[in-house]
Amino acid sequence: MASEIGRVRIRIPSSIKSGDIVKVRALVIHPMEIIQRKDGKVVDKNYHFIHKVVVTYLGRELAQFETTQSISENPFFSFSFRATEPGPLKITFLDTHGGKYEGTTDIKFS
Amino acid sequence: MTRSRLLGVLWGAAVLGAAAGCAEMDVNPARRGLPPTPWVSRAVPEATGEVKTLPDGKRQAVRYPGWTTADFGRFRTYAYDDARPDPTPTRVPMPSIQGDPKKGRSLFLARSVGPCTGCHLIQGEDVWPAGNVGPDLSTYGDRNLPDQHVFNLVYDSRHIYPRTTMPPWGTVGLLKPEDVVHVVAFLKTQKSPVPPEKSPDRNPETRPKPVGFGDNLDPTNNPAVLRAEAAEAAWSKKGPQGKACADCHAGGPLPAMKGVATRYPKYVKEHRRVMSIEDFLAVHAPATTGTSMLAQSPANLDMSMLVKMASNGMPVAVDLDSPEHRAAYLRGQAGFTRKVGQRNHACADCHTAGGGKGADKFLGGRLLGNVENGLTRHFPTWRTSQSDVWDMRKRMQWCMTPLGMNMLPADAVEYAELELYLTSFDRGKPMDVPGMRH
Amino acid sequence: MDGSAIDPRLTRRDVLRRVAAAGVAAILPALGPEAARAQGTLANLGPEEAVDATLKRLFGSRPIKDGSSVIKLELPLIAENGAVVPVTVEVASPMTAQNHVKSIYIISDKNRRPLNARFNLSPALGQASVGTNLRLGESTDVRAIAELSDGSLLMAKREVKVTVGGCGG
Repeated sequence: MASEIGRVRIRIPSSIKSGDIVKVRALVIHPMEIIQRKDGKVVDKNYHFIHKVVVTYLGRELAQFETTQSISENPFFSFSFRATEPGPLKITFLDTHGGKYEGTTDIKFS
Repeated sequence: MTRSRLLGVLWGAAVLGAAAGCAEMDVNPARRGLPPTPWVSRAVPEATGEVKTLPDGKRQAVRYPGWTTADFGRFRTYAYDDARPDPTPTRVPMPSIQGDPKKGRSLFLARSVGPCTGCHLIQGEDVWPAGNVGPDLSTYGDRNLPDQHVFNLVYDSRHIYPRTTMPPWGTVGLLKPEDVVHVVAFLKTQKSPVPPEKSPDRNPETRPKPVGFGDNLDPTNNPAVLRAEAAEAAWSKKGPQGKACADCHAGGPLPAMKGVATRYPKYVKEHRRVMSIEDFLAVHAPATTGTSMLAQSPANLDMSMLVKMASNGMPVAVDLDSPEHRAAYLRGQAGFTRKVGQRNHACADCHTAGGGKGADKFLGGRLLGNVENGLTRHFPTWRTSQSDVWDMRKRMQWCMTPLGMNMLPADAVEYAELELYLTSFDRGKPMDVPGMRH
Repeated sequence: MDGSAIDPRLTRRDVLRRVAAAGVAAILPALGPEAARAQGTLANLGPEEAVDATLKRLFGSRPIKDGSSVIKLELPLIAENGAVVPVTVEVASPMTAQNHVKSIYIISDKNRRPLNARFNLSPALGQASVGTNLRLGESTDVRAIAELSDGSLLMAKREVKVTVGGCGG
């Protein structure tokens, strides 16, 4: 699993018209490390999980999610946005070990 | 660990030549379709079912990380050469100690024992989640049954119901006689009136059924799909012998493998046994390309998923009619109804319906699958509680572990023939790999 | 359509520079320790606390009104396991510059650190609708709290029961 960390998959509807509200689904492979306990006490270490998700469209930031280790492993996110022009939709995932994983999908009108 | 006894001991009849090409018609019919010598497992170490003897003489089972290392060697397994009979029903007099209902209730809820609530509902808002494989015991105390009778039922109910689904708790040592006295005392407290139900979820009869995890083929929903896609790269990668799958199977994995998985598990002449795709890859990949693809390795699971996905939507079409398949099917069926393990369960106890059996009922919080619906065509499946891909063999190995039975190797012939039997119910239904389950 | 891992040796400064270049419109108040900004250490994760303490820290004494008429909070009644519990939150809102949803908080009362995530939105989205998969420690109430552009707070909540098998699981 470790070698796959950061693989991103984004899904959008197959047919989008200008002005539509588009539902986006995204998944990133990531352990989202759970807090460990030893002898009843929490182990202090730098837990490895995604703490921020940034959504940009046509270069502008649309949304930003602050996430914690109580989001599931291989985190999934969905959101809606208004498709105003054709162009790139980019989703960036940042983790607590400095990892940065990106996925981009091209919004096209049909 | 290899099985020390030759299969021939059980199946009688002399072994008639192990050389390939020998006429099949002289083989003892009960052995038809079985390899002539015990199968050497090609599984990863934690999947071979090995039981080690430690320096202090204790026995320790090697299983997957996080699984118990307890040795259940005392209890019968699926192995064809395990000829031990059902544990004999036993009966002991009820110890004359004072039964403590509080202790009894703790035992009733203890997961390390049963829990009894896995099958039986009792009173209490804290009872979550109780199952309904067995009768609702919320008013059992109303019956005013003699203590010794209730004691006998819990200790080993086979005296009263010879083919019961209920484990023989006392006979197999999961409950001591003193424990059973406390359980009897507790059951006497379960009297009417039953408090009004505050939530329909608590009672398994009114609990909503699970809704599943959505589209199992959506890569943004099921991480297993991404893993299978990674196997596409492995398809074209040259192994140590300088060859890749793609060199013999042209056109890409999905076109080349279209329809193949619909016929598995099947009897493979070259290896003289029934094999699933996973079993076959474990021998085929190293033989042709030199690439290791041990059973239960990620490489094997991912490639198995990819090969099966090539048949998605196509009806399962396993052969059950040719002599080897017919014999294997019958052995698989016998395995399905065979009582095994400390809890003395058969697969049929949970996965067939009617007559006190569990299919379509709740075992604790889990709805038990009915074998007649076809339980194999979505394997390998993503398991959300494990964050991993499990194939049918690991599912079998898991199922039997809390039941108190030592694992066979993941690629054991017994499991393959059991899988063939199960797959008979998937025939005609569309393949749908990878699935997505809890 | 697929992304691939960017070199994880990128420094935090690089990351911040890239985000700034994307033109962050509004600076939202810092969440505090809950969402570890760059580190996953205990200091950044904040303390384990009861949900009331979390609410107090996030919202002080600001009133949280019942938003069940405008918030559609979807969760399974019974979660097959606590590891993956799908949730979607949709807040009815015109999403104009004058009237939009700024943030949606998802909070699970019985989790040791109740805040699961904060979704920070902008009017350009056109719709306030988000979803994710939660980790729940046990059966719990899950709340969605929407913070609107005028500062008001609306809440909807649902109980989720986490189930478990009757034998091995």
